[in-house]
Amino acid sequence: MDQILKPGQTVQCLPSGMPCTIETLLGAGGQGEVYKAQLGGEAVAVKWFFSQMATPEQRASMELLIRKGAPSEHFLYPMEITTASGVPGFGYIMPLRPPRFKNIVDLMKRRIEPTFRALATAGLNLSHNYLLLHSQGLCYRDISFGNAFFDPLNGDVLIADNDNVSVDGAGVLGVLGTPRFMAPEVVRGDALPSTNTDLFSLSVLIFYILMVSHPLEGKKETEIKCLDLPAMTKLYGTEPLFIFDPNDNSNAPVPGIHDNALAFWRIYPQFLRDIFIRAFTVGMRDPVNGRVRESEWRGEMIRLRDAIFYCPHCSLENFYDSIALKASGGNPGLCWACAAALRLPPRIRIGKSVVMLNYDAQLFPHHIDDQKMYDFSAPVAAVSVHPTKPNVWGLKNVSKDKWVITATDGSVKDVEPERSVSLTVGTKIQFGKSEGEIRL
Amino acid sequence: MEMKRPGGELASRPLHFIWIADSSGSMGDDGKIQSLNTAIREAIPHMKKVAEDNPNAQVLVRAVKFSNGAQWHISQPTPVADFAWADLTADGETDMGKGLELVAEQLKMPPMSDRALPPVLVLVSDGQPTDDFEGGLKALMEQPWGKKAVRIAISIGQDADPEVLQKFIGNSELKPLAANSPEALVKHIKWASTAVLKSASSPAATADVPAGTDTANVPIPTVAAPTVGTPNDGAQAANAGTPNGAAQTADADNQNTVDDVW
Repeated sequence: MDQILKPGQTVQCLPSGMPCTIETLLGAGGQGEVYKAQLGGEAVAVKWFFSQMATPEQRASMELLIRKGAPSEHFLYPMEITTASGVPGFGYIMPLRPPRFKNIVDLMKRRIEPTFRALATAGLNLSHNYLLLHSQGLCYRDISFGNAFFDPLNGDVLIADNDNVSVDGAGVLGVLGTPRFMAPEVVRGDALPSTNTDLFSLSVLIFYILMVSHPLEGKKETEIKCLDLPAMTKLYGTEPLFIFDPNDNSNAPVPGIHDNALAFWRIYPQFLRDIFIRAFTVGMRDPVNGRVRESEWRGEMIRLRDAIFYCPHCSLENFYDSIALKASGGNPGLCWACAAALRLPPRIRIGKSVVMLNYDAQLFPHHIDDQKMYDFSAPVAAVSVHPTKPNVWGLKNVSKDKWVITATDGSVKDVEPERSVSLTVGTKIQFGKSEGEIRL
Repeated sequence: MEMKRPGGELASRPLHFIWIADSSGSMGDDGKIQSLNTAIREAIPHMKKVAEDNPNAQVLVRAVKFSNGAQWHISQPTPVADFAWADLTADGETDMGKGLELVAEQLKMPPMSDRALPPVLVLVSDGQPTDDFEGGLKALMEQPWGKKAVRIAISIGQDADPEVLQKFIGNSELKPLAANSPEALVKHIKWASTAVLKSASSPAATADVPAGTDTANVPIPTVAAPTVGTPNDGAQAANAGTPNGAAQTADADNQNTVDDVW
């Protein structure tokens, strides 16, 4: 098969002038080809645009991204422009994707089976990184299955295919997006991709990740025989309706076809259902003021992580739902997987957040200081077992700072680093900038 | 794999992809049939990759051959992951009409399901039909799935009838692809089995083809500038112990013997 560059061929990087040696073709898409290459002893990827795509506008756009630099290390971002004598057009260098990062398609096809915690973390990381990009005044324009990758073990993310990134509102260049992810106003032809339409696509991506189904594919989808472009324009553009719209059930999921949507929806806590409802009702209709923002998704994904607790029988993850718990008079219900009666672990309330104190729970800097960013590599507290009394559980101070607790009898004690405080209902822990209370 | 979450795979729709291949005697000249066999074999891994990257479609492939009459060459709708090409041999007339009739028969409901993605029909021929082409085309277009199908035609060599192939396509904006060399054939076959396949399940609008303004049911990317989508470049511990809230457990006496801080 013809390919633009040949193995062993050298291309020049701009502005550094460094030579880069092409190794193998990794893949081809609608805009160009991607190769594995060597640059100064390091493996990198080179994307070369098809000549009709290698426009001056595209080049200027790539140069802008290179000048601005990647919003974080979670982007496979353009590093330098590449040219080669005798080869029309140009390309660019970007980092190579490490194999631990998997495609969202693998998740949809259940070829990988991550935990809910890993998925909520991936949702958090995606939201955070798209926010970093948008904060630079840029929009991504094609958030979809093919260009977001995540590590199924821990929810780390990588955002690829950044050559569609452009200044928000800068007009037309390249793709309008991917069907099923495009905002309804883009599908209808009323708007071009922008930060606001990215926010819709992100909502769809998070829904897919957590629900393994599409938020608009319900009864109306089953009534379509041939799902072609006019049918899709109607379903995703002119008559979009959320499958769980509380005010209109005419597009509800159909048992036997939309089983995933039904299976997942009922096991998530109400707060998650509420934000999905907002994203696909008000958020669908009002692109400017109604969309769920990335910082909101980030907050809800953290809340979802914190709500996870394990079934005492089968050990699979279930979710704490304070609203459902109140309604049931404190009965946490049955495990979704094995139907055993669930038992809630103790929990800690810090400000507005509630964290399940599972046997493996950890608290992170953002839990005890709302000015801190999410950093799951540096826990500040961890659930522990008393060294000689295995029935006694505690919360161990793994930070560098002293905590001060107020016991239920009003006595005040210090908890130095590496010491633990017993999980006693009513104990208050002063972490410095915030206070937590152990509850059950 | 141990399931950690409920549900199954993402719901998908079938996407039927059918090769309609000329195996008449003239295809035996100049190694044309060998070229076609090679081109299809060359395209299959790329086709598998496109299908693998698309969770919305369940791609099912089969093939019809026509010469003296027509016959299902690969009769079962085969999941693309399991699809293997069987080489065609050349002999006889060019009964293209019969080939289309066979396809029409299989596009009836049943055997077709009433919910699917648009089928993709790829007609490859090097000559003039020797039978009732119009009758075969009519039978095909009488079927709702025939009408909705994305119909692509590839002509091999100089003798194919572009008007016939154009009628099969049924869309004046889309021309038959002329494969005047083995390289061109490989390129066209690959395009039909990747870019068109992708477009049929995920019809992307681009700035050049504004969303909502298309007339066709599936926009067909052009060969020169494919506009389909974007490049795809691209534990939990076994024992889920539940910590006890010390104050309310049965052995609350621990409370009396253990310090709050340890």
